[in-house]
Amino acid sequence: MTAGGFAGSVLYVDLTHGEIRKEPLDLALAEKFIGGFGLTVKLAFDTIKPGTDALSPDNPIVLGVGPLVGTSLPSTSRVYVVTKLPTSETIGWCGGGGVNFGYLLKNAGYDHVVIEGRADRPVYLKIIDDEVEICEAGFLWGHGVEQTCEALWKEFGRPTGVISIGQAGENLVLFSMAFIDRLSTLGRGGFGAVMGSKNLKGIVVKGSRGIKVADRKRYESLSQAFLQTIRDYPYLKEWQDLGLVKVFPMMVPKETYKRMKKRRVACVSCPIGCKDVVEIPDGDFQGLLKCTSSVINLYTPVTYGFKDYRESIKCMATLDEFGLDMFEFFGVMGLAKALVDHGLISKDRLDAEIIIDSLQSMETWARKICYREGLGHTLADGFKGILMEFGEQAKTYAPALVKGMHPYAGPGAAFSWDLFGTMELGQALDPRGPHVGSGGSPTYFAKRPLEIFPRHLKRMGAPKEAIERVLPGLESPDQEGELKVGRLLRYSHRWFSTLGCLGICARAAINRFYNASLCAEFYQAVTGIKTDLPELRKRVDRVWTLLRMANVREGLDRKAEALPEKWFEVPGFKDYLTEKPLNRQDSERMIEDYYEEWGWDRKTGVPTAHVLKELGLTKD
Amino acid sequence: MVNYDIQVYTEVCTGCLRCQLACSDFCTKAFNPSTARIRVIVSGADCSILFTEECNECGVCVDHCFHGALQKMKREADK
Repeated sequence: MTAGGFAGSVLYVDLTHGEIRKEPLDLALAEKFIGGFGLTVKLAFDTIKPGTDALSPDNPIVLGVGPLVGTSLPSTSRVYVVTKLPTSETIGWCGGGGVNFGYLLKNAGYDHVVIEGRADRPVYLKIIDDEVEICEAGFLWGHGVEQTCEALWKEFGRPTGVISIGQAGENLVLFSMAFIDRLSTLGRGGFGAVMGSKNLKGIVVKGSRGIKVADRKRYESLSQAFLQTIRDYPYLKEWQDLGLVKVFPMMVPKETYKRMKKRRVACVSCPIGCKDVVEIPDGDFQGLLKCTSSVINLYTPVTYGFKDYRESIKCMATLDEFGLDMFEFFGVMGLAKALVDHGLISKDRLDAEIIIDSLQSMETWARKICYREGLGHTLADGFKGILMEFGEQAKTYAPALVKGMHPYAGPGAAFSWDLFGTMELGQALDPRGPHVGSGGSPTYFAKRPLEIFPRHLKRMGAPKEAIERVLPGLESPDQEGELKVGRLLRYSHRWFSTLGCLGICARAAINRFYNASLCAEFYQAVTGIKTDLPELRKRVDRVWTLLRMANVREGLDRKAEALPEKWFEVPGFKDYLTEKPLNRQDSERMIEDYYEEWGWDRKTGVPTAHVLKELGLTKD
Repeated sequence: MVNYDIQVYTEVCTGCLRCQLACSDFCTKAFNPSTARIRVIVSGADCSILFTEECNECGVCVDHCFHGALQKMKREADK
């Protein structure tokens, strides 16, 4: 007997010994950690041995899908992985829109999969209802992401959920990613290499069991009203037509997008759809069809200097096929170029010129990195590898690094936004390091008026007294309003964790319709587990604090979360409200505010005994 | 007996499967796209939408389509 929403089982796979076992989902544990992201964190905490090397067989991959995934609630598709990541060397999470993978895993009967060990030859994991098998993947090894997906879809038909890596993951490139159904990414931090280190080329899933909800009457009344709200949204059609181009027209001109648009694609149950299929309409690459998480991603090379968007798309097609993280790739290439220019890398080590805005050069280097050829072998180990080989002097030319990675937002990054909001700070305070969803809030956009923040905080479920701490003086006519970015980030992290635990998409286009109270109601209606807002808050706090503890156990300390010096140099970050240059002292205060707002030690960031006890995270 | 036909516009389908989720829930009281009487496959730029023999054109799939890929068209004789 299982609660509604949950599939009811956890699948354990030992690749070393070829053993597979299925265990019933512990419902008491599921209730305590909600499910999805939350229970994935808990299973990872229990499975990962402290100090494990990220690329060793001992590092488990824990995958999870939330209790709302597979229902008809809008945009409930998310798939999460928690493991030790090789770049940040933290216990980090990767999450992506589940396309078809998430609901198919649930329909096969599993909420979570724990993969341990290392196969002695290339394999893929096949999950078709009760038929679970570790299969030979020799015929897939050496294939790119799309090529792998197509081969598996040919074998198993559609719909089949596929998580796969490309050649970058196979060759343990520290900034390799895995892709879900070739569209979404489990990326940043080197998750592709973790799969590659296990000789695990992919995971294939099909299922036919169905997902039931516990309280159908309540589910129907809640979901009908909710769906109507979305239907009535005046910008719905625009979102559906343009996806992320709606909010980034400065990156991708609408007319260009319309010329190349072939189809908009949605993850399961999503009424908007933010994924794209585009075709290059003319030029040397006319007819190249590209499926992508968003057309915005295809313009990343443009932000690094590419002049022709068609070459940019071709470049991204190559990076995606190899399974490379685009931000880290361009960051690493930028540093390599600087080291060549300054003589730290001698020209005789180069068998190809590094030209950042050249398609031919970047494709050549992507290949060298993927196959670890020549200097590409060093570059494949990312900033860590470069700094290790070329020493202290190389640091001078390195961009700002956060947890060993290239931030995606900030001075010198792909998105050179200079106002310091929650997402910018979140790049440093999320255990996994910088990623595109590291704690967004209205500060995602510049110059948002303070008056809109209380509404946002209420939607995220922040209590009244917390709103006063985040926005001191807002209600006082005699006091100038302030925004405590660190404190706000605490509630952003809780909000995104809430969505992740349930399985709801984090993208702003859809999460704007949800609020924390509604999440509690949906969770209760689907699972039958009694849950009100305060209880939901507490469970999510338990999840994020446990993730913190997993990293404290790994040795994460305040020093590891210090902001990079380059963020304070000119041109550096500016305060979100006053636009004065951000200084170290202010940023330290923000970090301390963040820790304190979580109830962690203000100086060290370690959760206090009191908080651990309150959240039920102590052993006794 | 319904007085409409279900028209299919594959060019705007996103493959979200809301139609299959709704159909399966309506027919079996469980969300199980594999039992739905409508089958949507989006593959790159291509899309196919088919109905199984069991489909009785109840229209629940149309009601749950947000993208206009499924629409009810009143039959000529009933206009």
